[in-house]
Amino acid sequence: MAATMKLSTLGYAASMLSTGLLDEQFQKLLLLQDGSDPNFVVEIITLFCEDGERTIGELTKQLDKRCVNFDEVADFVHKLEGSSATVGAQRVKNACIQFLEFCKEKSRDGCLKTLDTLRVVFYDVSGKFKAMLQLEQQQAEATK
Amino acid sequence: MTSYVEGSPVKALIVEDMAVDTLVLSTMLRKFHCEIIVAKNGKEAVQMFLEGKKFDIIFCDKDMPVMSGPEAIEKIHALGETHVKIVGVSASDNAQEAFMSAGADEFVPKPMKLDVVRAMIQEVINKKTNDMV
Repeated sequence: MAATMKLSTLGYAASMLSTGLLDEQFQKLLLLQDGSDPNFVVEIITLFCEDGERTIGELTKQLDKRCVNFDEVADFVHKLEGSSATVGAQRVKNACIQFLEFCKEKSRDGCLKTLDTLRVVFYDVSGKFKAMLQLEQQQAEATK
Repeated sequence: MTSYVEGSPVKALIVEDMAVDTLVLSTMLRKFHCEIIVAKNGKEAVQMFLEGKKFDIIFCDKDMPVMSGPEAIEKIHALGETHVKIVGVSASDNAQEAFMSAGADEFVPKPMKLDVVRAMIQEVINKKTNDMV
């Protein structure tokens, strides 16, 4: 990964790791990137941000219904839990785990409260991911 | 690690509806020179077997639209496809029981580790080699 991402970008990722926004799973993803998959990390981050945003939109719609289908809500949360575990977005994953508990309890209030938390942590990590990718792109253009 | 058995790469089927997870697993499998096909849900996976496609290993998510992983595994076995190694993959706590009851050979929690994938592919290669002897 070091061969294909700039040191400043890696530093940005390191600060996300040190603040607990990401866990060691993200470091393992960085190691998967090599010459044969030079855009792997960019693709992963982009997909995570897009899928996550779509999921949060769906959760908002589902919880807005008069009659909430908690099984459907849980399905969406499971998806986000899975993808956040895959990219190492620790706080998002933890928020999803909490969310699932409220789904089991069929607590609309609990779900709504946790959705707020989920939204905050998701947009925090996705914002920082996007900033990291922008930095990477700027560095790449500067060295052309 | 060699992934070729007399010119025959390991054929892997990924059954997964989340693009992030598909990308990570495909990237891992490409490192072991696997031939990869992706199904976005259990029904697509079953359809591939109905079309006569053959695989050495399946990595199957649990919760997917249209048809779940465990349901797909039951249907694949019902088609007589018992030679293929089926690995259930999920971030859910209760997934292991669901997969093993459905007839999966192994369960691996998400996120998948490269070493775990490597070991599974090597096991498939060893089996293919032994079957040829």
